Amino acid sequence: MQNSFVKAALSILQNSFVKSAVFAVGVCAIYIGIGEEITSISGGAKTATTVAGISPEAGESIFWGKGKCHTCHSIGDQGSAIRAPNLGAHGSDFPLPIGLRAEGRAKEISQKLGKPFTAADYLVSSHYDPEFYVVSGYKNEMPVIWKPPIGLKVDEILAVDLYLQSQGGEPNAEALMKSPYFELLKKAAGSQSAATTVAFKPYLEGDPEKGKEIFFDPNSKTPCAKCHTVAGKGGKVGPELTNVAGTRDLPYIIQSILEPSAVIVSGYEPFLVVTKDGEFITGVKKEEDDKSITLADSDGQRQKIEKSKIEKMVQQKKSIMPDNFRDLLTVDEFHNLLAFLQTLQ
Amino acid sequence: MRYRKGAITLLALIGVALALPAMAAPEEAYRTFLGYDSRIAIWIIAELHLMFGAFVLGVPIFAVTIEIIGWKTKDPRYDKLAYEFTQLLSGAFGFTATLGGLLAFSLFGLYPKFMDYLSGVFHDVMYIYALLFFVESITLYLYYYLWHKMAKQKGLHILLGILLNVCGTVIMMVANSWASFMMSPVGIAKDTNQFIGSAWQAMNNPLWHPLNLHRFLGNVAFGGFVCGAYAAIRYLGAKTQEERAHYDWMGYIGNFCAVCGLIPLPFAGYYLGREVYSNSAVMGNNMMGGAFSWTFIIQAILIGGLFIGSNYYLWIGMHRIPGSERYTKYIKFIDIIIILCFAVWLTPHNLPLSAEEQISVGGQYHPTLKYLGLMSGKNAVVNFIILSTFLSFLLYRRANLGEGIPFSKQGAKSRWILLGIAAGLILILGSYSNYLFHLNPAALDLPADKAKYFKLPAILLLVQITAMLVAVAMTFMNRGKIGQMLYLGITIIDITFVLGVYGYIVMAVANPFLRNVAVTQWMTMMSSLVLVTTLDVFLFKGAPQVGEMTWGKMPSRSQYTLIFLCVFIVMLIGLMGFIRSGLRENWHIYGVMQDTSPGSWTPDNALMAKVVSACGLIFLSAVSFLFWLTSAAEKKAHKPDEGPAAHPKAAPPAHEKTARSRS
Repeated sequence: MQNSFVKAALSILQNSFVKSAVFAVGVCAIYIGIGEEITSISGGAKTATTVAGISPEAGESIFWGKGKCHTCHSIGDQGSAIRAPNLGAHGSDFPLPIGLRAEGRAKEISQKLGKPFTAADYLVSSHYDPEFYVVSGYKNEMPVIWKPPIGLKVDEILAVDLYLQSQGGEPNAEALMKSPYFELLKKAAGSQSAATTVAFKPYLEGDPEKGKEIFFDPNSKTPCAKCHTVAGKGGKVGPELTNVAGTRDLPYIIQSILEPSAVIVSGYEPFLVVTKDGEFITGVKKEEDDKSITLADSDGQRQKIEKSKIEKMVQQKKSIMPDNFRDLLTVDEFHNLLAFLQTLQ
Repeated sequence: MRYRKGAITLLALIGVALALPAMAAPEEAYRTFLGYDSRIAIWIIAELHLMFGAFVLGVPIFAVTIEIIGWKTKDPRYDKLAYEFTQLLSGAFGFTATLGGLLAFSLFGLYPKFMDYLSGVFHDVMYIYALLFFVESITLYLYYYLWHKMAKQKGLHILLGILLNVCGTVIMMVANSWASFMMSPVGIAKDTNQFIGSAWQAMNNPLWHPLNLHRFLGNVAFGGFVCGAYAAIRYLGAKTQEERAHYDWMGYIGNFCAVCGLIPLPFAGYYLGREVYSNSAVMGNNMMGGAFSWTFIIQAILIGGLFIGSNYYLWIGMHRIPGSERYTKYIKFIDIIIILCFAVWLTPHNLPLSAEEQISVGGQYHPTLKYLGLMSGKNAVVNFIILSTFLSFLLYRRANLGEGIPFSKQGAKSRWILLGIAAGLILILGSYSNYLFHLNPAALDLPADKAKYFKLPAILLLVQITAMLVAVAMTFMNRGKIGQMLYLGITIIDITFVLGVYGYIVMAVANPFLRNVAVTQWMTMMSSLVLVTTLDVFLFKGAPQVGEMTWGKMPSRSQYTLIFLCVFIVMLIGLMGFIRSGLRENWHIYGVMQDTSPGSWTPDNALMAKVVSACGLIFLSAVSFLFWLTSAAEKKAHKPDEGPAAHPKAAPPAHEKTARSRS
């Protein structure tokens, strides 16, 4: 009986079609392996981080992420795009970084227009209307960044301008907001945003009580309170969420759960510390003084490291928040959690 | 069974037609697919529909071509082969239509608001699409079922086949217009985002024709490789030498057709990419330098695998050709070149390194390898890969041929044909050279002093023209082989080494001109393919054959190579569908209608590979089932007690005479 079963199995395996099918499945498995490997070395779809708020840091994250500025512009040796002018000091064409270069450009435009034109005007006008001044040798092809598909909001453009000012110069939000082009930008970007924004609605309503349980229960699949505080209850590794629904819209909250590295709130960026002993430590920076730095890991454990023992410290693009909520939660559980977060006004 | 297939198709078509009215005033924007992620569901259904669509559009192109060859050469083997390809087609057509119906239902059901918008733009065209589908199905069934009845009216039957291809191509173009409209919408009111244009305006959007061309060639390659795999499986299971000879030949033809589609495909891809960039710099940058740059590395691996696999298959195939030992020694060098070029092609420019890796490399970009990842390097190697593959075919073609009739003795007709083709090529190259010499830098937003950078490509085109004249003159002097190699050699030097390196200079100092450099490379390469092939036809005209071709003597690994090629092209078509669709990011209609569903994020490559593999395996399983049905029907038709066979009996083993005409 057993022999006949083995014989039958062997004869199936000898079948040319079965052999071909096994071979095809093997090739597919290699393909999946390539996809996995490339995702792991490229950091997946989440290659850029975003810092919230209006600051040069927030502008930097928009420049290298959501704003897609880096796909055309480099800054000095950062980045490799050459389609548009380098915005750092780079070679004989660009001896000054944009924070200083803007002064010279403003003078040139002022002479042309015969009226005062400031460096802040130059930066804001180039984002309000990229055709206003096109650098010689480059195509007039910069997209209007407040229009779709990029569709940056005014605050985000302001943050980018602050970041550009910080390239050799001093960030000055007041000067930017005083620019007559800023008013034009506000008006235009505001009307654009009203035309393209569509009310967002999740698939399911969700039960906030069940969501609360998921959030606080230490034995749940995703015990969020381990790292986040709501109304004084919970950990301090991640941002406090007591009023998250009052300050963030729903798509932002969903993205933060499913793609935690896409937007990292300012002050919660993870760092990798390489000590002189060769130890690698990753965590969110919780405290820092002249002599030491304290990192908190995803379990809330804090570790103090003497600065004298640090070889390198590099900011990480990947959040320490787990990015597998999609796998851990069912569709119902996800919507229950979402419903709970929406109550946090 | 025949009627059942037809009934499935008709039901699917009725389904599509019934789905159209479902577009009335939807309240909800999104729904879930039986409680699961609707985006993944649509992805899988659309991908399967596209795969079957590619098969049923690609196969008729070469089925009719082979039928024409059989008709002209009066060789029944070609007719049998064309019929066998068409047999595969008839089953796949029913699946395609059914999946099309399912896709329409799913889209209207899961994305009602989006489909409300899209059907508002294209509703008239959708009825035309359904009508075309009816015409295509009727034409296909007439073409297939009347094959033997119309054996004596072959011209008319071929006309039916051509009509089938026209219908299929138009259907593909209509569907492409919807997909391309979603990427490059036109006729939209700026203030309200409402569509105010005409259906034709929406169809004739900037990406329509680039997508048409890319898909047309892709479908030929896809159909060829799938048919090649069918032949391979039949070869591996063949019981007689006669069967093995037939399926060996069929596999060769499938691979040949596929490579014919594959060779110009990178250029069609470049054209599509260029137009994507021209239409939206944001989308273009996102494609090559943003979220999809790593997906293109996987694409390079797949395309490289296809070229290497095809060349490997040809290399093994050389062993069945007596006389090929004169050339076999060169093939390994060609393969080494292809592997090296492939390595350059898949080198990424942007390395999203971890902090530890950045510390060890000394920055975000590798100091040396970053240059290989730039477009100029990739353009150079892709040209080299294509020329090398072409050279492989050339050697394969002449493998068992002796010396042909000297050109000087071939008569006036040959001379005029050669001169005519050369004159045409000179006119095309000369015109573009002239255009480059007079190109106004301002047209590329470049200052006047950058005009000096336009000269080198223009001069190189003149060099090519001179080399062409020399090659033709040498052919007239019965030194055509040297002329051929001279032209091929100069082409390789010009486009790979000179323009390949020059591209880096252009990128740094006059970047907008890089696309003209790429066009120069493409035109030069195409001129080489046309001229060298023409010369080859004349050089080996009437050449005696060294020995008899031994079909059916291929080792098993050659057949697994064909299966490998089939799986890779299936994965490739899935990946390209992902890129094309994913480029819209969180927009249903780019810049006009946002995707606000929870599934609007861009999946990573790991998820892409899993979904595409799942689609690929479902497709291959379904196709295998159809192949099994086909072979079962064939066996039944051959049973002696059930009357005459439904198609000609197995052809005699191939011999050298037919070996010539097939290549």
